[in-house]
Amino acid sequence: MMRERSVVVWVVLAAVLLTVLNLPESVSHRIKSVLREGLAPLQQLVTGVTRKFSESARSIRGIGDLAEQNRLMAAELFHLRNEVRDLKTLAEENLELRRQLDFSRRSPRNLVAGEVIARDISGWWHTIRLNRGTGDGVVADMAVVTLDGLVGKTIHVSSRTADVLLISDPSSRVSARIARTGSFGVVTGTGETGAGRVLCVMQFMNKNVPILEGDEVVTSGLGGVFPKGLLIGYVEKVYRDETGLFQRADVVPRADLGLLTYVFAVVEEGHEIDEYLRRKQFEEAVRP
Amino acid sequence: MTALTMLFTLVCGAVLQAVLPTWRWFGHANVPILLGIVLYYAVTHPRGMLLGAAVIGGLLQDALGMIPLGYSSFCFCVVALSAARFKDIVFEHEVITHMLFGALAAGLSTLLLYLLLIGAGVVVGARPGWGALKVIGSVILGGVVSPFVFEAMGALDRMLGNVEARE
Repeated sequence: MMRERSVVVWVVLAAVLLTVLNLPESVSHRIKSVLREGLAPLQQLVTGVTRKFSESARSIRGIGDLAEQNRLMAAELFHLRNEVRDLKTLAEENLELRRQLDFSRRSPRNLVAGEVIARDISGWWHTIRLNRGTGDGVVADMAVVTLDGLVGKTIHVSSRTADVLLISDPSSRVSARIARTGSFGVVTGTGETGAGRVLCVMQFMNKNVPILEGDEVVTSGLGGVFPKGLLIGYVEKVYRDETGLFQRADVVPRADLGLLTYVFAVVEEGHEIDEYLRRKQFEEAVRP
Repeated sequence: MTALTMLFTLVCGAVLQAVLPTWRWFGHANVPILLGIVLYYAVTHPRGMLLGAAVIGGLLQDALGMIPLGYSSFCFCVVALSAARFKDIVFEHEVITHMLFGALAAGLSTLLLYLLLIGAGVVVGARPGWGALKVIGSVILGGVVSPFVFEAMGALDRMLGNVEARE
């Protein structure tokens, strides 16, 4: 009798596992969405409480540094005001040049603010979960940014949550260009280096265009996911790739991917792809 | 009541696991709270509860991450059944047993999951060295976390009267 029961348990277990493992993608996605949405409020609550605790601890620790912080912020404000003044001039100049080159006007970007409520539970991917979903206008394949720069793109979206694949994940691919030279390439995540820093690699860049350390890397706007001109990071090191046909560059992301609290999903009003960029890429490709 | 307790603790464990940080020295292995709970049911409860905990715990882990549905359930079932098989030859209420079981179970579970994910081509850019580091990290974290999970689960079961009801 005992043996029979044991066999029944094994058969039921095997059946359940086989069923779950072979569920169609749509059903599996739906089950995941339901579970995620059910747990999202709880996750948000726990994240909120832990964040409050760490913020309180940080503020208690930081009381002694307030004077120094005040001095640094005053200095930063001075620099920023100067920069704004310069940027105003540049913006006017840019507008004039765009008009001369007959560029289409760049549509304003609508942003959906979201709070990070969890990170990847399994530890196998570099992802975060936001408390915004389709109900808030977030859909899959949307660029996600912070005030510093690009963070990643949305992948799985339910009505109240969205999973974001960070640019540091090895499966992430971002079409990018060097802001100074206009060289195109693809930014891929590497996970983390031995020193624990997040690092990406920009690949497939024309070997004849000199790339310098510290060059700004921005999204190219090609590929239809990431809008043009979002800051990704800065070049740290440049080297020739194994084939010798292209050059590669280590890129340090501008946004601190390890300390994300609030991010923005970019709602593009139509994926504008600049004709100028297309032309430039073509010219670069046919250049000997 | 025991089933409800199991469901409640698994949900809380999943939420906690998603919030807790990971460390690069441990290959970004997660803190195995869910596995600890599954292991607790494997060592202290009948087989039905063990399998229930393993399947539900696995589904929660997969649902809250990018792992295809069912992979973690499979790994948890293998690990929990292995633990249940050997529980009679050890002192099941000793901390050292919980540590050892937790370490071995976390290591085995991570290794199985790594092989499944690599086999299915789901994880991109997973180097063997990284996988090995993750397994070692899991072993350490499993050994550290499991005694606490066992203690907390035991206290909850005693508080709710599940242990007396079972015995």
